[in-house]
Amino acid sequence: MNVSPIINFFLREGVPLETVILILMLPIIATFIAFLRQVVGIKAFGIYTPLIVTFAFLATNGIKYGIAIFAAVILAGMVMRFVLRPFRLLYLPRVAIMLTAVAILILGVLVLGGGMRRTGLASVSIFPILIMITIVEKFITVQIEKGNKMAIILALETLGISIVGYFIASSEFLIRFLASYPWAILATIPINIILGKWTGLRLTEYWRFKEVIKNM
Amino acid sequence: MLNFIKKSRRILGMNSRNLEYIRPLNLKSAKRIADDKLLSKRILKKAELPIPTLIAKIRTQEELESFDWSKLPDSFALKPNRGFGGEGIIVVYGKKKNAENVWIKADRSSVSVEDLKNHIRNILFGSFSLSSTPDIAFFEERIKLSKIFKPYSYRGMPDVRVIVYNGVPVMAMLRLATQASGGKANLHLGGIGCGIDMATGTTTTAIMGHQKPKIIEYLPETRLILSGIRIPYWKQILEMAVKAQKASGLGFLGADIALDRDRGPVFLELNARPGLAIQVANLSGLKRRLERVSELKIKTVEKGVRVGMDLFGGEIEEELEDISGKKVIGTVEKVKLIGKDGKEIEVEAKIDTGAYSSSIDTDLAKQLGFESVIDFFSSLDLPANFSREESRGVEEALKKSYLGKHPDLADIVVVYSSHGSSIRPKVNITFILDKIETSTQMNIAERKELEKNIIIGRKNLSKFLIDVNK
Repeated sequence: MNVSPIINFFLREGVPLETVILILMLPIIATFIAFLRQVVGIKAFGIYTPLIVTFAFLATNGIKYGIAIFAAVILAGMVMRFVLRPFRLLYLPRVAIMLTAVAILILGVLVLGGGMRRTGLASVSIFPILIMITIVEKFITVQIEKGNKMAIILALETLGISIVGYFIASSEFLIRFLASYPWAILATIPINIILGKWTGLRLTEYWRFKEVIKNM
Repeated sequence: MLNFIKKSRRILGMNSRNLEYIRPLNLKSAKRIADDKLLSKRILKKAELPIPTLIAKIRTQEELESFDWSKLPDSFALKPNRGFGGEGIIVVYGKKKNAENVWIKADRSSVSVEDLKNHIRNILFGSFSLSSTPDIAFFEERIKLSKIFKPYSYRGMPDVRVIVYNGVPVMAMLRLATQASGGKANLHLGGIGCGIDMATGTTTTAIMGHQKPKIIEYLPETRLILSGIRIPYWKQILEMAVKAQKASGLGFLGADIALDRDRGPVFLELNARPGLAIQVANLSGLKRRLERVSELKIKTVEKGVRVGMDLFGGEIEEELEDISGKKVIGTVEKVKLIGKDGKEIEVEAKIDTGAYSSSIDTDLAKQLGFESVIDFFSSLDLPANFSREESRGVEEALKKSYLGKHPDLADIVVVYSSHGSSIRPKVNITFILDKIETSTQMNIAERKELEKNIIIGRKNLSKFLIDVNK
């Protein structure tokens, strides 16, 4: 691989290449999410959640296990909200119980994976799992603020963005490109300035306001 | 396709709303007011705008423990101060009989002190506030459902959302609670939004849903048509919304106003980030409307309301005007009077079909340059105490002896009213009402005690239709 001098310098200092590439991917994925929000109109759970889920996917052995864990977390969050509703608990204890439920469920999923000889699932490292468990709080907040349906839509959008993000970040071409031209990430700054000043309709808004435009 | 894109520029999108309207116009200090219900109540009250009366507030756990529950009235609303989207609100309609301090909710379930305490603990802890920060709970007067909305409302309070920008009410929507929205009028919870004709306060199109609103004609599961609902106190609602903008400093404001059965329009809350679905309910682009008023210099509340009504309404009215060829006016209208030597004064006139001819107050007539004819007339020795039968003769005699004696005296008339008869001079005045110029004779009378110092009578109203609701 054709590696830029600065990356060579990092490597000589002992930083692993994989880490350097992951860090260089961060602004690219972030810009991608910002673009989806401002121009396309996909909201997801803000910028941080899809970003971190993308990296959790990258850190699991194969994306399908990541998706399985993600789905398990959201499912547990949904079910537990209904289970806990009649108890009328305060917010933090309620979230704590949900996290307990999610933890048990994930453990179940891992054991199940192991039992079905899917050793890949059982051997997923702890950090991506922890990251995904924290999504449950985000999910609950949205559930309270905007209702169940919206929370599910946003969760699916987050999942979608993270999956696409995963494929972008693991693309052989992009990895090679960043290794050769790491300074290219600076180009995300002017792109984001343009996105930050963008006042046009989002693509989804053309669809949302179709009736109005037709009737004008 | 090209046309579609061109037209889409009239729509206000999320990016533009945030960057071009909310960011520069709703400063942090003003947003604080909107996000804090108690603070916005205080500010609205200071501006002498109607709000539901505050009964009590609970700020801490200690205050909750020492709270005197017996001082709560039979009906009230319990709200979190920083709640959003109608979450965390409990409304009770009455006390349960044969039980101490048990109230009844809209769904007929009962609420005990223990339930309230639990709920308030949740509020204090921040379960219903944005970003879960600790909050304050408060009790306020329950707004009573206005009769006109009763058939349309499912266990919730309908309200009118008015968007105000640059002192002009630019767009409005009536929001109704449905079974699906659990008695809440918020669109994203499944409520219904009805677009409103700004000139008349009549509903036009109705939508259901928020992300991809669906146009509906009838109230779900009923045969009630959602268009053509006439919202009472319309002008007052618009005036209140404009005043609230001045008081709060929110340059781009969504004012939520409910109608109380006894008190009329009352503020529910102020919104610093009004939603965009209102455009679908009105089948009209907000961006275009905002651009149209952005250049205007609006100095008074009345002007702002008038501009809003004129620019963004009138389709229904214009339809009627097209058919009849007549202008539709209300019972009170602004008229521009042109007196002697082209003197112009603009006043509010009462449109009175009970009177035959138009009549103007003495002082106003003096301002229009008729001082000398009034002085001349009052110097005359006029007969008094004549019967109704004699009046004709009296009128004839007066006309014979005085007409032509003063250049401005156009005629003399004897008018009977409940106060008896009076002799009045008539002068030539031109007035402009709804852009139509009419030259007529008006009699001059003492109208100090009356509400409006000019009335326009039947004789001058042949070109108009009068709408008593306007």
